[in-house]
Amino acid sequence: MLSILRTLLLLWLLKQAFRLLRALLAAAVLVLLWPVTVAAAAAASTAWLLGWPPARLYRAAAWSLPVTAVYAVAAALRYRAWRAVALAPATNWQQASGLLIHGRVIAAILITAPVAVPAGLAVGGVAWAWRTAAVAAGRAGRHAFAPAVFDARQWKRQARAARGLLAAPGSVPLAARSGMVPVGAVIRVIGRRWTPVLAVPAGWFARHMVIIGASGTGKTNLMIRLWAGWYAAALQASRHGKPRPLLAALDCKGGPDARAKADRTRRVLRGVGARRIAIWPDEASLSLWTLPPRDLAVLLYQMTEHGDGAAAYYADMTQAVLTLAVGAPPGPPGSAQQFLDRLDAGWLEDAYATGRPGELAMLRAARPHVGDIQLRYATLLGRLGRALDGPGRLTDADAWYFILEGTSEPSVAEAQAMALTELIAHAATDRRAEPRAMLLAADDYSAVSRRVPLSNLYERGRSLGLGVMVSAQSWQGLGKDDDERYRIAATADGGLWVMQTPYPEPLSHLAGTRRVLESARKLLGTAWGDEGTTRIQHAWTADPDLIRRLHTGQACYIHRGTATFVQVARPKPSPLTLPAAARPPTVPAARDGRHQDHGRDAPTVPLPAIPADGPPPLDDVLGPAKGSVS
Amino acid sequence: MNPFAALGLPAGPGLTDDQVRAAWRAVAAATHPDRDDGGDPAAYSAAAAAYAQLRTGWGRSEALADLTAVSYVPPADPAAVGPAASAWRMLVILPARVRHGRPLRLVIRALIAAAVALLAVTLIPGNPSEPAVVAGAGLWWLLTARGDLAPPPGR
Repeated sequence: MLSILRTLLLLWLLKQAFRLLRALLAAAVLVLLWPVTVAAAAAASTAWLLGWPPARLYRAAAWSLPVTAVYAVAAALRYRAWRAVALAPATNWQQASGLLIHGRVIAAILITAPVAVPAGLAVGGVAWAWRTAAVAAGRAGRHAFAPAVFDARQWKRQARAARGLLAAPGSVPLAARSGMVPVGAVIRVIGRRWTPVLAVPAGWFARHMVIIGASGTGKTNLMIRLWAGWYAAALQASRHGKPRPLLAALDCKGGPDARAKADRTRRVLRGVGARRIAIWPDEASLSLWTLPPRDLAVLLYQMTEHGDGAAAYYADMTQAVLTLAVGAPPGPPGSAQQFLDRLDAGWLEDAYATGRPGELAMLRAARPHVGDIQLRYATLLGRLGRALDGPGRLTDADAWYFILEGTSEPSVAEAQAMALTELIAHAATDRRAEPRAMLLAADDYSAVSRRVPLSNLYERGRSLGLGVMVSAQSWQGLGKDDDERYRIAATADGGLWVMQTPYPEPLSHLAGTRRVLESARKLLGTAWGDEGTTRIQHAWTADPDLIRRLHTGQACYIHRGTATFVQVARPKPSPLTLPAAARPPTVPAARDGRHQDHGRDAPTVPLPAIPADGPPPLDDVLGPAKGSVS
Repeated sequence: MNPFAALGLPAGPGLTDDQVRAAWRAVAAATHPDRDDGGDPAAYSAAAAAYAQLRTGWGRSEALADLTAVSYVPPADPAAVGPAASAWRMLVILPARVRHGRPLRLVIRALIAAAVALLAVTLIPGNPSEPAVVAGAGLWWLLTARGDLAPPPGR
């Protein structure tokens, strides 16, 4: 028995001696390589304090390598012998150790810095990566809460570092030279490579995006930044032969703050090169009547609500009358008034009197209802207002900001949204017009989602070359039912932007899970024992609890099974921009008898002509009323 | 040209179509070349151009936005002008980028880099580390200074 105990004691002593020896050996190496040790300790401590990821240390190490290269060249020039050059770091280490002993710390650090800094940063990065992984897996830390506490503390530090980066005016510009769209400072990445600034390729916008965030979470900032970035990148591409950009932003909520948002959007877009930004309906109008007759008839039919059952008869009747009115022999109507004039049995019969017996028979059948249909459409078009009655085309401007009063007049906003999306889809498919790279963004889409199924446009958009971006305040606002919501979110290959929202689970599901190590340790009383298990578990890629706790301006970008938490930078154009300098003149200076042709940039708003033989007589200018000159 | 000034109107967002039309009529009546005194064809032409621009709410907003922008002419597309010209333009606008950025921080960083370089020159002269540390200080300043500059025009 005693011999067994003695053997056990001996084994224990041997084990402890081995551990001690290993620790002493490690300490000796650390002391021997003191310059690298100091640099690594400083790097890892800085990363811990500022919430930096290990990748940041690796990048810093890589950027320090030119210094080492200069050192190598200087050593080669000085020693002119390969052996001496190869031993230069050791020689300098020896010199530095001597200086350190004599108290000349700064000189010692300076001598060793060219080699010790890159090496120390790399070693510090490895140590920091090991430490974070160990704590996350539950293999390090003093108590069971250590992983959670460590993560929460690091999140705070990472968020603070991201905010600090944004304070620098040039760190996150609206557009990058390489066609990327910078969005903000990265707080944390999961499943992808870390970069200090999250930049999204402009091409991803054509693959559709979804933005979800409660009111006051910085959603508008994010959207304006994305619009401006996309516009700048597309404009840059257009200088290399790609189509010119055209942005259509639908503010589906409306209200007084929509005007302020529109004004801000205009300022930012002008800063990145947009010249004509139209605000609808306040400052510019569009013509619904430019749509092809078939599309126009379908749209007009869809703009009114129809019932089921017996009401289907009247719906069919309405559709037939609309098709006849729009497709009448004189050609499609050019205005709301012309259209309403056609919803008259007499007019229609006259129009189809010759050689159209089939249509005439239909008209006779529908005759009792034509008056009702006219009344219904007079009411609808009256409520829609004049802003869809022209003049103006979508291609007249570089960007459109559409304000729909979705809060105060939801049914009108829905009808307007239907008309506008149809006009946009038509502009995207119109083969006779100049091809444009288009982005349709619907802000607060929930206000009109009941009757405007953007998922259809989503699915068609890619083939049309039309990018669609939808924002809603919640998952529920993304569509009328879960099918519709999933169709929109799951086809957003450009990515999902999730800001603070109380119900992010469906979006987190779309991001998927990642494999993590989870350790369990045996407790002896209140202390850790030395036994335990580790196993692979699945954890959220985009943690819904973290998303619920996001602060204003913070967003989680979910893309292809990765999540990037980012502090969105406030969209602010460069103070050095002047759009006016490149603005084409809007009126002819020469008296050439007609408007100057400003090329494809020319607006279609009619301008006063100055005849070749001089200005018009005053009465022509001023009109017949007051103000004549004797 | 300021189209508001050409019509004698204050440059502001609250102008109405009627106000613009009234101003145009007044200027046209006073400057039309058919007047007995020959009018002022140049002023008439300018007013006609201004009226065409300001007659709609959209046109007024655009004109106002043009006026409120900073008077700086953006450089042409770098790809179109070539790398040398592009680099020259970037150099030309550098003072403006510094001024609109964080000049104080830039100066502080520059002073730190200079101090490190000076220490290297003073404390370890002739050592291969001396030029390396000087180069490192310069590189650090260049890499960190970019964020303190205002973004270039259009970005």
